[in-house]
Amino acid sequence: MLNYALRRLLITIPILILSTFLTFGFVSSSGDPLADLRQQPNITQEQIQRVREMRGLDDPFPVQYLRWVEQIPQGGFGEYLISPRPIWPDLQRVMGNTLQLVVAAELIAFAIAVTLGAVSAKKQYSVFDYSTTTLSFLGFSMPSFWFALLLQVGVVIIYRWTGYRIFPIANLSSPNPGTGMAFWLDRAHHLVLPIASLAIFSIASYSRYMRASMLEVMSSDYIRTARAKGLSERKITTRHMMRNALIPTVTVAALSFGTLISGAIVIETVFGLDGMGRYFINVIGRRDPYPIMAWLVIVGFFLMLANLLADLLYGYLDPRIRYE
Amino acid sequence: MGAEPQFVDAPTGVADAEPLLSIRDLVTEFKTPDGIVHAVDGVSYEVFPGETLGVVGESGSGKSVTVMSVLRLIPQPPGRIANGQILLDGTDLLQLSDADMRKVRGKDVAMIFQDPMTSLNPVLSVGDQLAEAILVHNDIGEDAARKRVVELLELVGVPNADQRFDQYPHEYSGGMRQRAMIAMAMANQPKILIADEPTTALDVTIQAQVLEVLQRAKQETNAGVILITHDLGVIAEMADRVVVMYGGRVVETGTVDEIFHSPKHPYTLGLLSSLPRPDVDMERLVPIPGQPPSLINLPSGCSFHPRCHLGEGRQTCRTEIPPLFELGPMRASACHFHEEMEDEIHRVESTTGTAIEGDEA
Repeated sequence: MLNYALRRLLITIPILILSTFLTFGFVSSSGDPLADLRQQPNITQEQIQRVREMRGLDDPFPVQYLRWVEQIPQGGFGEYLISPRPIWPDLQRVMGNTLQLVVAAELIAFAIAVTLGAVSAKKQYSVFDYSTTTLSFLGFSMPSFWFALLLQVGVVIIYRWTGYRIFPIANLSSPNPGTGMAFWLDRAHHLVLPIASLAIFSIASYSRYMRASMLEVMSSDYIRTARAKGLSERKITTRHMMRNALIPTVTVAALSFGTLISGAIVIETVFGLDGMGRYFINVIGRRDPYPIMAWLVIVGFFLMLANLLADLLYGYLDPRIRYE
Repeated sequence: MGAEPQFVDAPTGVADAEPLLSIRDLVTEFKTPDGIVHAVDGVSYEVFPGETLGVVGESGSGKSVTVMSVLRLIPQPPGRIANGQILLDGTDLLQLSDADMRKVRGKDVAMIFQDPMTSLNPVLSVGDQLAEAILVHNDIGEDAARKRVVELLELVGVPNADQRFDQYPHEYSGGMRQRAMIAMAMANQPKILIADEPTTALDVTIQAQVLEVLQRAKQETNAGVILITHDLGVIAEMADRVVVMYGGRVVETGTVDEIFHSPKHPYTLGLLSSLPRPDVDMERLVPIPGQPPSLINLPSGCSFHPRCHLGEGRQTCRTEIPPLFELGPMRASACHFHEEMEDEIHRVESTTGTAIEGDEA
């Protein structure tokens, strides 16, 4: 297992390097980063020329790439194009916020989906099964921003009727969130609606995979063997069915992590959260290539991390993978 | 050739012993989109202590469904045991609660399945799966269970049993897996050991070894064995008595000698003359014409009549379902014209160019 994990870890290094290269290649070929500047009447040709020279925009591609990529292991992504502020502190802040949202949504979605999928497979064609299948169809088809708006509207209606605000409908924290435990409780309270809107699609999709793989496992020969041994149905479910059924579900969940991040862009906008999504839209608007590249590399890194985690989990669940 | 066939001697005094397991009038049906299928339609047979009962028949003859009904492992729905009794030491298994039935499974009645490649859970170690079978029925610790499993694995001929305990099914060969399955089945000293086509999925060279292990398991546990197979060679090798099934019913029972040398049902005769046999030198084989019947739409009367040479379209065969005629102790045939089998055997013998009856002692 350790051997497998190490091997898997080593493979990620060249992929990371490749991802920085592709990021730089695509972004730098997408046009002149100073185009906006040129259209502003109060900026002179000399000023533009000075920025060009300062950032080395006229250097050959490989030189530019190496200069940029060198900064990354030193813990930074350089400065913004025009203002000489470092990118990393901003990115770090929004990254932390988004990770709280996305990781919580993923974990909660996974736990709920696995339970729903397993139970509706065990009770195939029951009322429960039909309702979860229908609901997951709904969750599948609903745009997440629309669902988020619905939740907000719902909270407002409840406020009107009862005068009680069950959940905040915007921001990450109250104006005075406090410190320590109080801060995190306040944060969790603020994240309930964003997490719910983000998780709903994942719950719908993972639970269908779980149901399908559970049904397949349930009709397999080794489950019959387990029954013939005299095991209780409970033990058969937990020990023999769930672990096998989780294998494909884990893969799907890990591969969908990217979908979750792109979903976060929308959700953060709806709820006005200071996260990576809003940050990305912001810097794209400013046409600043440096934070865009930094953002892409970070997201690429997290996607790879998710895949790595999935592979490790996969190896843990399925001994056939481990030894290959 | 005409070499003396090697038959296992039937246990003496079987006829007056009490049966260990007695299946009576079992009806198991499945609901399908095309209607209700009677996969097992009034099957009765008995298993006596220490004997090996061979059950033969084509695919779809109901031989597997019968034993799955004994363990109540028929998936419900669509399956349903509609009628009958399954008496194990006088207790009707069909009347037990689910919890009590679980105590019977793997303890009093253990089963070995056809395909060892898929019958073990791929994500649990083989040792753990065997230990599980012991732990569920015995109040012992994990260490004691492990020790017992290693003993069992050694007994069935798995080398380096202690290291192999921790290996996963994909690290076992097919033959080794089936040995492990046999070890699992004998773990709790069952009274009845059911082997459902235990060698069908295996390499021919491995088959003999696995049968040997099965024989050892039987001696070790002194269980009554139900051996389901469509391989008459395996029957000749292993069985004391034989039950022949066709279209969900029992069509003939007898000792292995009786079945092989003087079959009393044209279907049995058809089986014998359609396969090459090591003990009889045949010039040509005689196939059974037609297809196994569809269980949804069984032929009227005797379900074998459309394929039967003996019946020749006689009225009785087409309209009356033949009962199982008692021909002697433990000997029965479900053929209206079983008295005519003598002539029928001679007719087939002239076609195959040899004596079906072999060199009867």
